[in-house]
Amino acid sequence: MRILLVDDEVDLASALAERLYLRGIEADWVTTAEAALEKASAVDYDLAVLDVKMPKVGGLELRERLRRLYPQMKFIFLTGYGSEIEFNEASCQEGESCYLVKPADIADLIQRMKDLLAHGGGDQ
Amino acid sequence: MTTATEMAGWAGLQFFGRTTASVSHELKNALAIIKENAGLLNDYLLMMDKGMPLQPDRFRLVAGRIDQQTQRADALIRHLNRFGHSVDEAFTSVDLNEVLALLSALSSREVSMQQATLSTEVEASPVMVKTTPFWLLTLLGHCLSFALQVMGPSRELVVRVTKTGDGGLIRFERLEKMRQQNFPGEFEAALFEVMGATCRMEPEKKSMEIKLSNC
Repeated sequence: MRILLVDDEVDLASALAERLYLRGIEADWVTTAEAALEKASAVDYDLAVLDVKMPKVGGLELRERLRRLYPQMKFIFLTGYGSEIEFNEASCQEGESCYLVKPADIADLIQRMKDLLAHGGGDQ
Repeated sequence: MTTATEMAGWAGLQFFGRTTASVSHELKNALAIIKENAGLLNDYLLMMDKGMPLQPDRFRLVAGRIDQQTQRADALIRHLNRFGHSVDEAFTSVDLNEVLALLSALSSREVSMQQATLSTEVEASPVMVKTTPFWLLTLLGHCLSFALQVMGPSRELVVRVTKTGDGGLIRFERLEKMRQQNFPGEFEAALFEVMGATCRMEPEKKSMEIKLSNC
């Protein structure tokens, strides 16, 4: 699987990408939505892991843009929000995305990736 | 009929909620970075156990990130704690230099999410005013939110503290789009009223001045 990580926290995105790589998952990382769109135009990603709150263009809007361009792409949101239930209802009802609350466990993240790519579901 | 005090109280609650949500979000980010980088150090050790050489430079870099994020989280909690203590005394003397520094720290996420930069310029000596610290922070927080809406394309804001004969001034500058906006709104007007502070809008100078008096 090929993953794109988008988070404005450089030290989070880079560490997460390295940890995924050490587990045999190819992951590129960028820190802005603009860079994500550029990267996705050059590489076929199966799944994008998106920070919800980013300056300028946030994760929810970025998902909409990526989804229009790459309909098969799946999404996992990383969020620091406390209102997980509301967030879940708002963003994950279409069965192609799910979310994890920061700080997330890497084993959970990888499992969610596998579930989404295997079944296309976003069940919590 | 809603009184100015009730309006100010509601504005304060809103500011309190917005600030704690923002700072806790920032804390979550710091914790996530610490967790991920601590995990990465563990990964390196597991690789070493499997016979792969440890790379000291990588190890140092990742440990440095953890140290940096721990300091970030500590500063966030310190600021949040000071903010919490702003309700300890209903009416007391505060140094506007310190109030502005705290506001700047508490608002750093709001500012960065707007891709803005905030510069503060303070007096060399304390600028003491008698006021309600929590309401002062609330009022300045509302002023900053307004300033972020009307800043210019450079996205740079300057907030300056100046001592006056009977108190102090806080001046928000580089409000390039100020004419298009309506400020103070009802909440801010209520805060000005209960605090006995005044606001002077200066569109020609692209600035806004808050005057706090000890009289």
